[in-house]
Amino acid sequence: MTRPKGAKRIFEIIPGALSWMIIISLIYLSFVQPLVCAVLIITFDFYWILRTVYLTLLLVLAHHRLSRQKGKDWLKVCCALPLENGWESLQQLVIFPICHEGLEVLRPSLEALSLSHYPLEKIIVVLAFEARNSQAKSNALILEQEFSAKFGAFLSTFHPDGLAGESRTKGANATWSAKAAKVFLDSRRVDYAKVLVSCFDADTCVDVEYFGCLSYHFLTSAKPHQASYQPMPVYNNNIWQAPSFARLVEISGSFCQMIESMRLEKFITFSSHSMSFKTLVEVDYWPTNMISDDSVIYWKGFLHFNGDYRVIPLYITVSMDVAYGNNIWRTMLVQYKQKRRWAWGVENFPFIVMGFTENKKIPFIKKIRRSFHLLESHVTWAVWAVILVVIGPLPILFGGAFFSQMAIAYNLPKITGLLFRFTVLTSLTWIFLSWTILPPRPKGVSWFKHVLLILEWFFVPFIILILGSAPALDAQTRLMLAKYMEFNPTLKGNKVL
Amino acid sequence: MQQYNFLTEAAFERIRRILFYFCLLVFFLGLPFILTFALGYKFNYQSLKFVKTGLIYIKTQPEGAKVYINGKLFSQKSPTSIQELLPGVYKIVLELAAHYPWKAEVDVEAGKVSRIDKVIFFPLRPVLEQLNREKFSSFRIDLKRKLIYYLDQEKKVVYRSNFDASNFEDIASLPEYFSPIDNWNISPDEKKFFIYNAHQIAVLTFDLGSNDEYLATPVFLDYDQEKITNVFWHSDSYHLVVLTNKYIQVIEARALARPINLVELNKENAMASYDQEQDLLFFGDSQIPADNGSYNNLYKLELSANSYLFDKFIKGKVND
Repeated sequence: MTRPKGAKRIFEIIPGALSWMIIISLIYLSFVQPLVCAVLIITFDFYWILRTVYLTLLLVLAHHRLSRQKGKDWLKVCCALPLENGWESLQQLVIFPICHEGLEVLRPSLEALSLSHYPLEKIIVVLAFEARNSQAKSNALILEQEFSAKFGAFLSTFHPDGLAGESRTKGANATWSAKAAKVFLDSRRVDYAKVLVSCFDADTCVDVEYFGCLSYHFLTSAKPHQASYQPMPVYNNNIWQAPSFARLVEISGSFCQMIESMRLEKFITFSSHSMSFKTLVEVDYWPTNMISDDSVIYWKGFLHFNGDYRVIPLYITVSMDVAYGNNIWRTMLVQYKQKRRWAWGVENFPFIVMGFTENKKIPFIKKIRRSFHLLESHVTWAVWAVILVVIGPLPILFGGAFFSQMAIAYNLPKITGLLFRFTVLTSLTWIFLSWTILPPRPKGVSWFKHVLLILEWFFVPFIILILGSAPALDAQTRLMLAKYMEFNPTLKGNKVL
Repeated sequence: MQQYNFLTEAAFERIRRILFYFCLLVFFLGLPFILTFALGYKFNYQSLKFVKTGLIYIKTQPEGAKVYINGKLFSQKSPTSIQELLPGVYKIVLELAAHYPWKAEVDVEAGKVSRIDKVIFFPLRPVLEQLNREKFSSFRIDLKRKLIYYLDQEKKVVYRSNFDASNFEDIASLPEYFSPIDNWNISPDEKKFFIYNAHQIAVLTFDLGSNDEYLATPVFLDYDQEKITNVFWHSDSYHLVVLTNKYIQVIEARALARPINLVELNKENAMASYDQEQDLLFFGDSQIPADNGSYNNLYKLELSANSYLFDKFIKGKVND
């Protein structure tokens, strides 16, 4: 990726610069103005506790919505809709961008798809292979033989390597396959407005009711083409086999997504998602040179429809693999890289700010709010654990003799400790909810694993240190220094490191 | 979708907004209270003003002492902190049963912590235990703080016991004709000891069942022409550092050994202290400059195994 010039480069620098400025300023203050630093830390601690309580309440609400809609016969609900809605006319285009995932990952995804409680003849499956993958052709052949008869259509595409203007990203592959699907749809004279495209990670196993749920929301939403549809990602495929460390991180990731689904003004697409194919074509597909294609596609829609574009949460799950290695260190590394890739979503900031400067039709206030939300969320992600864990004790340690005599020096650890005792309640809530979203315990897995699932939450303080802020700070620093990341898909399924 | 949901999308959004603004309200109302408390402020309901207070932090050894402030019993026992105290002087009494009480007047300043964290309670009836089982003239404690050595000048015997007075045993006999004994000390390896008087040093081995015949033989070092003022063990447990009225010497603890004069002293009975860990001898000596005045100087003599350091020091002192 070449380094952009001018304003875009400045907006690439801003998030990282802001995060580092906050961290360095607080460290500096802890030495020269420990009193000011202590006041700021107490303020941040209080803010963080209230934020945690607030987000936990949102999680409870989201969980309530998810559990209430669990097992609902969405197709029946679709059938009950007035005839003019016409769910029967909808086609489902399902794209699986595949980098190096093998049959052991792809088969379960296709099997789950084939079990959908939805007319399979209305489902067009596209396996989007990378041509550089030596196993691509043979895998395509095997999977076509096994599954092509089950669906309405079954395509395999092979994305050539090194096309002009492209980076090695999932978005480039997905776009190539979507264009191939467009040719296919054109050949059958299918109206794009009647096609819903779902771009799933290769390990995504959909709920049997997913397409019914998607169709229902699409048909009943106002301006359905001006929306993306976001299911709740859970990592249940191999959660009973995964080590506790990785399991905990992924459950937390699912919860964060559920919380976001309750904040519609901030909600953006993440990982596996769906949208109108008409809209996808109009916005010129997924970005071909950005890693965070899943969120950028939302922003492309937002810019294309002049700010009148939203993400509709689907309270139905899509299940993926927990990423882990064959020992705790490799698992940490795998998780760290995955979180860094997610945090690379900070590249959206320069993208949307540049888009906002060009688009004069989006209300100014909306531009400011959305830019601020994005910037604030990424900066907070990068600094919160550093402030709580690293900077918190600094005024006491380095404040000097004068500061240590002050009442605030004595009260700082007491107040911090008291505030964090409140988080015990929120932690208990998270533990309970994590237990409820688990799939049934497979045969051969000890009941003791249930106990472990609760005990593993005591690892949270250690995980915060490693995966709290560090990946986000790493990603922002890379963007700030124009050390652009390459797409490095997480190894999943049986392909543990 | 509404027909399938008890709560509609709009209802969820309303609940979310209520939660958000409630948390925002708690933040902006709660933060001033938390910060003022952290900074040591107290709201005075009579004057309706914030008053800056101080606090006293109390930590004792052992813990659990009753705390009296200006004669009133405080609700908590040590360790504790007494917060929101208006600036001024407070009488603090700490009491622990069967121990001497601790009393003091503590000055509390606004916004500051007065720390009383070095209180040790000493028992009213001290724990006293007799360790020796025989008469003795003097005793030494070994470097590892595990053994006690007793010397009995009358019986000419050295005893040893553990710190808890167990294993009391007779471990050496003193030469009959060596008298008087001005001082004595145990070697760092705890296999032998020296005794000395003004003109003789004897190095004796403990009777610990060792087969080392070389060490078992007593060594006598005579100082006919000089007067011995102090003797120290070198860390190798073989050399002795000897201060006489004229010199600082090192001498091997073997028969017929000849001393090396390291430093010539101007002053008799020079003060000295020996650091066995680093083999450093600190000693005082007088300097007589041209104006016939007299100055006392303190010197450090390095006696570690690196012998070149001896030369360096001697040259340095000569140059002085």
